[in-house]
Amino acid sequence: MTDNLFKLPGKDADGAAAERAVETRLLERVRDEGDREAFGDLFERFTPRLVSWVSGQGCEPSLAESVVQDVMITAWTRAHLFNSTKASARTWIYTLARNRMIDYHRSGSRRARAYEGFAIMAPTTSSTADDPERDINRAWAADLLGELPATQRDIVLMIYVEGRTHREVSEMLDVPVGTVKSRTRLALQRLRKLMEERP
Amino acid sequence: MKTNHHPSESWLLDYALGNLPELFEGIIRPHVGVCEQCRDVISFAERLGGDMLAATPAAGATLDARAICDHHEQQNTQTGAVSRAEDVAVADDIEQLVATYLNSSLDALPWRRIGKGLRICRLAEHDDTRMWMLRGEPGMVLPEHTHVGSELTLVLKGAYFCSSNIYNAGDIEDADENTEHQPVITRDGECICLAVTEGKLQFQDWLPRLVQPFIGI
Repeated sequence: MTDNLFKLPGKDADGAAAERAVETRLLERVRDEGDREAFGDLFERFTPRLVSWVSGQGCEPSLAESVVQDVMITAWTRAHLFNSTKASARTWIYTLARNRMIDYHRSGSRRARAYEGFAIMAPTTSSTADDPERDINRAWAADLLGELPATQRDIVLMIYVEGRTHREVSEMLDVPVGTVKSRTRLALQRLRKLMEERP
Repeated sequence: MKTNHHPSESWLLDYALGNLPELFEGIIRPHVGVCEQCRDVISFAERLGGDMLAATPAAGATLDARAICDHHEQQNTQTGAVSRAEDVAVADDIEQLVATYLNSSLDALPWRRIGKGLRICRLAEHDDTRMWMLRGEPGMVLPEHTHVGSELTLVLKGAYFCSSNIYNAGDIEDADENTEHQPVITRDGECICLAVTEGKLQFQDWLPRLVQPFIGI
């Protein structure tokens, strides 16, 4: 992983913030009005990403769609629990998916993760070319992560993209667990500051 | 409840992302219940997770939104927090909170005497990780030791000194294989701690090493 891998030209903070607001408004319509059209829009935005995400977290490919279907059923049936003052739609949907994956792993399914999962954050992947909206989110995240030293960024990606524990990260990178802890602390401090500056 | 010592952000990320081994989750969760600062870190970790999800490239999917709407009714029950920062019992009394999780008062647990002024209670074991409780009388000095893996210690009652720090009720001491420590219980009262330890403790003195097989820590 190199520093320039995550550098993209221009700042996409405004676009990413606008996208976040649109998603949240859609979920509010689902919650308040049972709006099927809004749910369909959210579904199109998140389902393909969720399939990719749960696969990266170790979900067997044959089960990924089933897991994502469960997540989206929950998003539809329990939309009344969404509180936009506490979380954006993407954070809420992420937590639904995370909770479903906890159940998945506790059910005994094996993790089948690949270190190559790192590649999914690379901005050069061709699949983003025909999707400007996702490109905004991706560019924003890449821009943010590009502000971290490579040693911190790698840890964040291993934890978030691959679902590794900090102990696993320590073993995979062959660095003391204390080093992983201190790099994680610095990375979170930096990311929090950046996300306050670029909401 | 005011807490001064917290698990590292790495533990909180593992907790927030649902990757924590079960026994460690059993010690992080009650601390989170009494620590607003850690709940805030978890909320931030989830927010970052949402943005990472939004930045994930799409995979092919054949799912159908209309089928979900046609076959599933929207519900209106008001229970079921989805955030791990909210899905905890928030409390101000860590001893009572852990007793609730254990469904037993701490006094009613099967304590076993392991020496003058010290008792332990083994609660659970999974692979090479053990959850146990330690109960020490005021002023007790524990044997100096290190670890072969991680150890989290949550103070439930009283306090102890260790490595220039004082750990009070609600605090967590976060130790690992690079930590060598010798907790000393303060003189103002007994101390009860919940601990989760990977591997066997590595005692420096021969006497604790001699009795270690019999006490199983």
